[in-house]
Amino acid sequence: MDGSVRLDEVVMRFGDFTAIERTSLEIGSGEFFSFLGPSGCGKTTLLNIISGFLAPSEGQVFIGNEPMARRAVNRRPTAMIFQNLALFPLMTVFENIEFGLEVRGVEKRKRRDTSERLLALVALEGSGPKKVTELSGGQKQRVAIARALAVEPRVLLLDEPLSALDLKLRQRMRAELKAIQRKTGITFIYITHDQGEALTMSDRVAVMSAGRIQQVADPMTLYRAPATGFVAAFVGENNRFETTVVDREGERVRLDAGTLGELAGRAGEGVSLSNGKSVALFVRPEHLRPVTPDSPGPQLDTEIEAVHFEGAWVMLETRLLASGETLRVQLGHEISRHYADALSVGQRMGFGYDPQDAVVLPDDGSPVVDEATGEVREADRQARSHV
Amino acid sequence: MFRQLKARFGGPLAMAILTLLGIWLILMVTLPQLQMIDYSFRPNLLPAQRGGPEDGWTLANYVTLFNNEIHRAIFFKTLWSSVLVTLLTLAVSYPLAWYLAKVATPRQAALCLLLLIIPFWINEILRTYSWFIILAFRGPLNEVLMMLGLIERPIRFLSGDGGVMIGMVYAYILFMVFPVYNAIESLDDNQVRAARDLGAGTIRTHRRIVIPHAKPGIATGCIMTFMLAAGSYAVPALLGSPGSRWFTQIIYNWFFEGGNWNQGAAYAFLLLVLCIGFMSLVMKFFKVGLGDIAR
Repeated sequence: MDGSVRLDEVVMRFGDFTAIERTSLEIGSGEFFSFLGPSGCGKTTLLNIISGFLAPSEGQVFIGNEPMARRAVNRRPTAMIFQNLALFPLMTVFENIEFGLEVRGVEKRKRRDTSERLLALVALEGSGPKKVTELSGGQKQRVAIARALAVEPRVLLLDEPLSALDLKLRQRMRAELKAIQRKTGITFIYITHDQGEALTMSDRVAVMSAGRIQQVADPMTLYRAPATGFVAAFVGENNRFETTVVDREGERVRLDAGTLGELAGRAGEGVSLSNGKSVALFVRPEHLRPVTPDSPGPQLDTEIEAVHFEGAWVMLETRLLASGETLRVQLGHEISRHYADALSVGQRMGFGYDPQDAVVLPDDGSPVVDEATGEVREADRQARSHV
Repeated sequence: MFRQLKARFGGPLAMAILTLLGIWLILMVTLPQLQMIDYSFRPNLLPAQRGGPEDGWTLANYVTLFNNEIHRAIFFKTLWSSVLVTLLTLAVSYPLAWYLAKVATPRQAALCLLLLIIPFWINEILRTYSWFIILAFRGPLNEVLMMLGLIERPIRFLSGDGGVMIGMVYAYILFMVFPVYNAIESLDDNQVRAARDLGAGTIRTHRRIVIPHAKPGIATGCIMTFMLAAGSYAVPALLGSPGSRWFTQIIYNWFFEGGNWNQGAAYAFLLLVLCIGFMSLVMKFFKVGLGDIAR
């Protein structure tokens, strides 16, 4: 059963607004694929195009190499798990799961067998006769999964299905979703603004921003080698420095960071860096470590402004002495214990990093992402693009 | 109830509200009805004979209906026709309510609702008369149909029940559209999307998802429409023919033509019983309680 999905030059416009810029993409059969992006980036629109709720303005969708243009929602080999689950509240668990089979004219005995089997798969044996309104949040989640799997879709579409659950349950459901995906071998297409979900579950992730796919890669590549400034800022945490290229030697780039002096980094993949070009340097908080003034390599002198003890690590908020900008530093357990006396507000401290770990990318005015809402702050974005 | 009202409005105001409510219910609703029931069980006597030897409780007024074949037929025809009006109104209103609630943009829905409501600013008698003109033997509808070549000679819409049905569906459509619209409106769009996504076609989506959800609204609309239809006087009087008389016309005749209030009261009470019976039947059929309907 071929569950591959191909988007061919898909464009989606609503009036004057282009929700999806021209996009081509191939998702392999049996892959766990995620679309990750802030709200409003177009990921849900893309999901609706694949499921058939929206017809693209241009381009085509193929599932298992069959064109979907003339196939209505109810004739596509996809099943969707909705953000609010959309279980049928007037029906029992059995009736919910069997709805799709009833539509297909499957006889009652066979329907019941299937739903029993699926209830076992999602660890809800014996809950069949219950009303869905009697179930807890996690149980409803499982029923929604079972209901979608009942129609034996080739592609399962998941629209932020875990967002309504509390943190503990969410983490457990991640593992379960991944396990179910492995067991069934169905292509999962997962929509989320939560990078934790995307990185832990997915085989590959497409990071989206403003209707455009920024990068498609496996989670580790996404984290280690972001292709654009947006990805670097959105996936994981990053300290960003505006610099200009001094010179380049293989991968290694020497940079002029103005008042911060000379810094260095590794050129991002496929990035053209002529001397004098303004670029952005990204250094992750966990790649910074305390250094003494005489140690070699880039050095950033700071004053500690806040210390957040997180258990396994310590997060420092520091102010760069030279520029006044904020630098976030994450120190592991061992290192923070070693420096325990020095880690207090008002202390001065120098930090260095291995240039191999810092990525240099074109200064594309990478947006600032609001941690709390996952939304991109447009104002910053426009302000920066004029720099 | 008093305690809740007191908590919200204070003692004196709560007392006043309850007193007014009580006066209204007892003086304006209960007592006149009891008076009518009392009338219905007494013979029609001259004022001088009241309290005399011929006065007393009797079932004679009720027996009249069962002995009078014509009246009996009209009674059951009214029942049957009102059911038909209710079903027709539902058939017209459901797609309209669906369109207003889920298909139309807010602007379109607002415009549509306005267009639906404006005719109701006009008096019911006038509206019914306009149908009288439209449906007349030499009226515009027949003209148009003949011009289009759909019919060869004009149809007598106004003899038989056809005209009455059309008039009633038109007169009571809002009482069906609004409750059904409210019910459908409250349905989560994703419910419909989920059903479609699982493979359901349009009919099954409505049968299994939308209609079960809208059931209280449909029941409310059906009960209101039936009550209004069964109790309607103006529409059958204007659009009906002698062959399509409504039971309300008989009641009217007993009161104002025959001058027999006792007989009229008995007939009116029977119509009331019929309506209450229908209402409980519908509620049982739709498995909804009074609470769902009052919402």
